[in-house]
Amino acid sequence: MRSQEQGRGGGRNDLPSLPSYGAARPPGLEYIMGGCGIAGTIDVSGGKMSGEVISRMLTTMRERENGLGSGYSAYGLFPEDLKDLYCLQFFFDDENAMCCVEEYLKDRGDIVKDERVPTRKVPSMRPPYPIVWRYFFQPDPLSSSYLIKGQGPDECVVDVVMGINNGIPNAMCVSSGKDMAVFKGNGYSYEVAEFYELGRYSAQMWLSHSRFPTNTPGWWAGAHPISLLDWSVCHNGEITSYGVNKKLVEMHGYKCSLLTDTEVVTYLWDLLVRRHNLPPQVAAFALAPRYHDEIERMDPKSRALAEQLRITYKEAFLNGPFSILVGRGQPDITMIAMADRKKLRPLLFGRSADNKRLFAASEECAVRIVEEDAETWVGDPGSPMIASVGKGLIRNGTEAPFKGVL
Amino acid sequence: MNAPAHASLDDKERVFDRIIPDKFRPIIDRNACLNCKRCVKECSFGALEWKDDRVVYKGGCVACQRCSAMCPARCIEIATVPSGLPPHASYTERVRQGINAQASSGGVLLCSCGTDMPYGMIFDDLILDAAQVTNPSIDPLREQVETRTYVGRRSSRVMLSGDGYVTESDGSGPVVAMDMPIMFGHISLGAVSYNCQRSLFQAAKDLNILAGSGEGGLHADFLQFADHINGEVASGRFGVTPEYLRRTAAVEIKVGQGAKPGHGGHLPGEKVSDLISQTRMIPLGTDALSPYPHHDIYSIEDLQQLIAALKESVEYRVPVGVKIAAVHNVAAIASGVVRAGADFITIDGFRGGTGSTPRVIRDHAGLPIEVATAVVDKRLNEEGLRNRVTVCAGGSIRSAADMIKVIALGADVAMVCTSALIAMGCQVCQSCHRGLCAWGIATQRPELTSRLDPEIGARRVTRLFHAWNEELKEVMGAMGIDAVESLVGNRDRLRYFGPNQKIAEVMGVKHVGEGWG
Ligand code: SF4
Ligand code: SF4
Repeated sequence: MRSQEQGRGGGRNDLPSLPSYGAARPPGLEYIMGGCGIAGTIDVSGGKMSGEVISRMLTTMRERENGLGSGYSAYGLFPEDLKDLYCLQFFFDDENAMCCVEEYLKDRGDIVKDERVPTRKVPSMRPPYPIVWRYFFQPDPLSSSYLIKGQGPDECVVDVVMGINNGIPNAMCVSSGKDMAVFKGNGYSYEVAEFYELGRYSAQMWLSHSRFPTNTPGWWAGAHPISLLDWSVCHNGEITSYGVNKKLVEMHGYKCSLLTDTEVVTYLWDLLVRRHNLPPQVAAFALAPRYHDEIERMDPKSRALAEQLRITYKEAFLNGPFSILVGRGQPDITMIAMADRKKLRPLLFGRSADNKRLFAASEECAVRIVEEDAETWVGDPGSPMIASVGKGLIRNGTEAPFKGVL
Repeated sequence: MNAPAHASLDDKERVFDRIIPDKFRPIIDRNACLNCKRCVKECSFGALEWKDDRVVYKGGCVACQRCSAMCPARCIEIATVPSGLPPHASYTERVRQGINAQASSGGVLLCSCGTDMPYGMIFDDLILDAAQVTNPSIDPLREQVETRTYVGRRSSRVMLSGDGYVTESDGSGPVVAMDMPIMFGHISLGAVSYNCQRSLFQAAKDLNILAGSGEGGLHADFLQFADHINGEVASGRFGVTPEYLRRTAAVEIKVGQGAKPGHGGHLPGEKVSDLISQTRMIPLGTDALSPYPHHDIYSIEDLQQLIAALKESVEYRVPVGVKIAAVHNVAAIASGVVRAGADFITIDGFRGGTGSTPRVIRDHAGLPIEVATAVVDKRLNEEGLRNRVTVCAGGSIRSAADMIKVIALGADVAMVCTSALIAMGCQVCQSCHRGLCAWGIATQRPELTSRLDPEIGARRVTRLFHAWNEELKEVMGAMGIDAVESLVGNRDRLRYFGPNQKIAEVMGVKHVGEGWG
């Protein structure tokens, strides 16, 4: 793994000595300037890649971090017997929080297996480190402890995550999907990779993020990716419509507890795609809609849908600069990568010569370092690149908005 | 009708009237005056007369500025007459005048325009945000910043079918697209002149926004603007014909009005001219009374029935809304109105203007629109209804800044009346109820009405709102927001800089100096 010099241009000693937090919500907010790096890769043929690949991609964009946070999500990494269970991965600040969560879970389903997530002490990382633990969980929709009895298992898990993250102190559920997990914390990207020994995992898709949310203090649970169910989102940017987006997700029962705009982005994907059943490219349009004058020039069918999306989902519109990497595990492992409609944040796509591996990153160097001969291109503003295991590249990010849907 | 005994004054008593001094007085520069008598002709309030070969002041100036504006020698200045009354902090001049006026008339004091009481404007205590560095600002001269706004009921969900899309069955309704988040409130023909209403409608068409018809139907000449008219259905139902409902772009039930919550409309018989009698379909010279309540609405269920009946009448082609006055329990009322099926809801704050209202109501009843908008938005959010309905808010939107702030507090659309009238010449003299408006705005007298050229009126209002819309784009760009939908209810973009932190809490706005989170 990398040495500490990797954090050039903002080494540990240059940082203001801000307190660091584990799973407990920090008391106040701080503003830390800096860049943001995102990187993701997917093997659409179903092959697996070591966690070292993604950490190389991310750590090479060293200017884009400040040592306050980084994270990775891995999809398609668990063995057959655990794949279909929800993997609830947690940060705990103390044993008491852990006991409370276990009681909470037992009231709502079965803990089929639980284990400590292997971690290694990294001397340069600033304490405290939370306890990282995972539970393979099977919800019992008939449990009377749910807000609504008899709902689908996904809804039960959302209920569990919202319940714990908002109700149990010193505990934070950081990922809750099937056959996926999120590894994140306070530190530089190379430190976080080392902390979790990412090299021990191989997965079909990896997403990653370096640096910390611009408007929040350093705390472990607040680092990206932000995840709910099998969604995980890495985000570079600042959502100026946050207040509006938050209200929409709250109207649909999501509770925001992570102090970051990325959280609402995650919930919006869950709302629009899982709950409202929109294809990802249609949801992407709702999040970064085309301009009205562009919509007016569309063919009648696309225009009707585009207008309806702008009207219906106006609170879902993510305004401000962003580029996001979105991962989803069900029904197929899928990567969605897109930038805002003015393309105020960088995002570049890449494909390996054998067409098996696809990449998305803030900078070209992130792709080149792992695939020297990759073909690279940029997508249109607001237009998603979508790739999925088994289906290959579904959209390269330059097509008409509803291609393949209408 | 016999005048009540207490209203008649004998000459001995009339002396008391004289202790109400004039507040304004024209001062004529005698050296410059051309003796053209123009000002005498222009003063519709009869404050000037020609006597002994010169213009003399009789009394009763309302500071409408008409004489000075029209004087070819520019030799008239309207001065504020200092109060000669002994000073008193509680029994102010205003209070004493009110007492005297009522001691003489025995009646309810009438007034026009929004309240002139010195309540602080909460708008002025709110500060806007601007983007820096990580969230870059946008220059609207180079980049698109969108202000298109839809009015109507929204489905909270779009579903894709093989051949297109469907929206959730119970929630979708027709919508009207406007080019900017502004609409004219309801200013009725009767309260204002034909030329004034024509100016407003023409401006609405030119700006591609909606204009309220006001109570009393639509004059046949104005059917050409029907695509931009939001037709009002008040309790009197004057002028509400199948054609009116069929042609207008939206229909709005008036339950309340900000300047007079709990009050209906009253157009005195003297104002019911031929024109008004035809439009409202009432006999010439009779009072047009829209009583306080709709006599078929005593509950939310009743309101629901009227909304349903109107939707049926318009064949579900145009949105049906409800206008309520901002009152203390406005959030709960708004929730009921939305549940009753309103496609849009208009909240009118207590500083809203009017052509005539009891002064006691205008000055003392209701809720500022800033607070009302914020609490309605919050309540509708909590109840999961906000993304179904369009919220319009008005009642003292004086500038683009007010419009931006009311949007950030939770309104989709800012409703504006008085500012549009000011653009046409209104001096806010608060004398509309007398029907003598010297600018041809709030009057039905043909000789006065003709003073307002509808072409010029429309042009001035169009320019005003166009300018506001440009300012909206500038501010949104500065905030790093490129479409107005992302400003609606975005209270993060506001901070409170006023004396009463409780107001900020109720509105859900942080104090200046507080960051995110
Ligand atoms: S025209 Fe207006 S300002 Fe002039 S004297 Fe008459 S009321 Fe006063
Ligand atoms: S409309 Fe006319 S009468 Fe009314 S306040 Fe304005 S200038 Fe005065």
